[in-house]
Amino acid sequence: MLSRRIEIWLAIFFAVLAGLTAFVWAPLDSETAAIYEFRRQISIGDAMLPMVAGGGILLFSVAHLFLQLRRRRDADEDPLFDRTTLFFFVTFGGVLALSLILMFWAGPLALALFGPSGDDAATYRQMRSSLPWKYIGFVLGGFTLVFGLTSLIEGRVRWLRAVSSILAVLGLILIFDVPFDTILLPPNGDF
Amino acid sequence: MSPLEYIWAGVMAVIAGPAAFEIFGIGIPLTVLMVFGGFLLGVVGGATPGLAGPFLMAVSLPILLSIFGFTPDALLPVMGFLVGVMKGATVGGAVPAILFNTPGTPDAMMTTLDGYPMAQKGQAGKALRTAHFASVSGDTFSDLVLFTCAPFLAVIVEAYLGFGEKAALIVLSMAFIAAVVGASPLKGMIAAFLGLLIASIGTGEDFYARLSFGTDALADGVPMITAVMGVLILGEVLVAFENMWRQRRSNAVVKEPAQSGDNRLSWTERKALMPFIGISAVVGTIIGALPGIGSTLAATLGYATGDKMHKGPVKFGQGTPEGIAATEAANSAVSGSNLIPVLSLGIPGNVGAVFIILAAESIGGFNPGPTVFRFTASEVNPELVIAFGLFTAMMIANIFNWVIGGRIMAACGIMSKIPSHVLLPMVLLLTLTAIYAQETSFTAIYFALAFAVLGYLLRKLRIPTLPFVIAFILAGNLEHSFRQAFAVSGGDPWFLFKSPLSLVFLLLSAAVVIFFSRSKTPEAGRRAATERDL
Repeated sequence: MLSRRIEIWLAIFFAVLAGLTAFVWAPLDSETAAIYEFRRQISIGDAMLPMVAGGGILLFSVAHLFLQLRRRRDADEDPLFDRTTLFFFVTFGGVLALSLILMFWAGPLALALFGPSGDDAATYRQMRSSLPWKYIGFVLGGFTLVFGLTSLIEGRVRWLRAVSSILAVLGLILIFDVPFDTILLPPNGDF
Repeated sequence: MSPLEYIWAGVMAVIAGPAAFEIFGIGIPLTVLMVFGGFLLGVVGGATPGLAGPFLMAVSLPILLSIFGFTPDALLPVMGFLVGVMKGATVGGAVPAILFNTPGTPDAMMTTLDGYPMAQKGQAGKALRTAHFASVSGDTFSDLVLFTCAPFLAVIVEAYLGFGEKAALIVLSMAFIAAVVGASPLKGMIAAFLGLLIASIGTGEDFYARLSFGTDALADGVPMITAVMGVLILGEVLVAFENMWRQRRSNAVVKEPAQSGDNRLSWTERKALMPFIGISAVVGTIIGALPGIGSTLAATLGYATGDKMHKGPVKFGQGTPEGIAATEAANSAVSGSNLIPVLSLGIPGNVGAVFIILAAESIGGFNPGPTVFRFTASEVNPELVIAFGLFTAMMIANIFNWVIGGRIMAACGIMSKIPSHVLLPMVLLLTLTAIYAQETSFTAIYFALAFAVLGYLLRKLRIPTLPFVIAFILAGNLEHSFRQAFAVSGGDPWFLFKSPLSLVFLLLSAAVVIFFSRSKTPEAGRRAATERDL
């Protein structure tokens, strides 16, 4: 159990979210109401499940709030989210975003720059099953992700980790791509 | 067909099914091969700290679906592989617990108490043999209970429960899981209803996709496998990343003590272990049959019971084989009986069972639940043949475990040396690749990352993830049962409270939540907090 103050705020957050869901979002964003009549037959409509879900969250978050208010005051523990968390997410998010951008665009970009031109020019979709184009995005993006995160956590850059990252990416190609024609590595399914 | 003919058809579907290849003109059955592959992967993965059975099942599933497609022929090979992984990971988890004091899976935590001291005394071989013997004995016992109980329970459920009662039973199961997993039942219930809410996005029976804000991105609903992997696997990976980021722990060199002690496990010693294994197997089987209670609790109870029985010279916790046997038999006995609620009620009770259900739902042609066990005489019930085929696959996995499990375990010690900060980024890439292989769209990766953040937040806020996932999976069934029961009652708003049985289920749901919400002693609170759902 977290500290009393955090639990109270958590309960309030869920209660508000649930109230809005059950009484505003679910009824307004569903075609049929919780109960509706059609050709003299009464049926359960699409709004019922989200309203029940919202009602359930509301009920239990209010009960949780009530129990927490009755709980003895305690010393606040260390905050769940601090500057380190923020810094971690910014750095982690940066590496992840860079990896995904590389994974998505490196192949098409490489094809545009170094691929056949003139009459032989082809789109990435046409070349997504051909070597080396189909691996460029996955290898670059995957390597950046694995090596970047490993180095980030270790706090230093090591050649050994670069080798293990490359081997990991090649291993995944061997598992997912080489034996199967039906499986597409990222980002080839998007083109 | 008679029941015996159904059982035989299930056995034949496995051993005389499609052949993977031939050796000297003899076909090697594909399902048997997949069980073996899954078992091998499970032992290696279980022996690797940071990986666990559910994770391996999660990343395997999209690959398996891509290989075998979505026809009923795919059911046995795919589920056989997953069963193999589940069983392999259970025995594999003991390897790093014994050799390096690091449990490969959470349920191997108690194995460290006696396994590591034995390894320190130069008896790692004996400790590994004890763990394997106890684990496979407990597992086999539990499977036999599953084969016996699940069909009977299913027949009773099908005979006596209508739509209203089934809806109430799902509510009871969700309440039970929410109440027993994690330290706060109320937060568990919030997680369960949150799962229902998110599952309702983009689904429903009307032309307009509800809760979609009119957007195409939400109109197709939330992809189930992506969401489950995001919350269960990637959420855990994020938390682990943050912890490592904070600790930046040094990559300490692990020293291995010389193994010079008595490393054999004689038949006399095995016989002496049997009382501990027997009691723990029963404890683990009972615990496993209850939805939501993890193998960690079974291991703890098995260990505590064994401690009370033990009268040997070496006490529990100081490196005695009985301690390892009591723990491993209990946590392994959970894996078979965990499938009792899945196969008889259609309700997954733990994370491993979640992936069995996901496989069945994705492929189609097999809907785990009471309807499976219809022993129709006039026409063949293919689901029942698949169920007995699944039981056969489990027994084959047990045979592999008995025959070669110990040797594979011993060879997997090296996996324990891979540092987590090297392994986890690879796990992240592997998971994202597996999700992409299933959905073939970058949108699925974004969905997975969004659910990873949700999983991270749930863990940080100490809200259990298992009730969320199970409610998310059961939402469709629950809504269907509600709609049917309401229609059958002629639009009676009290349809859920009309039948005495559904009333009992609902009252039990309330009682379970209230009972587990009582204030706990500090020790019980700590025990509940250690009961992880992955």
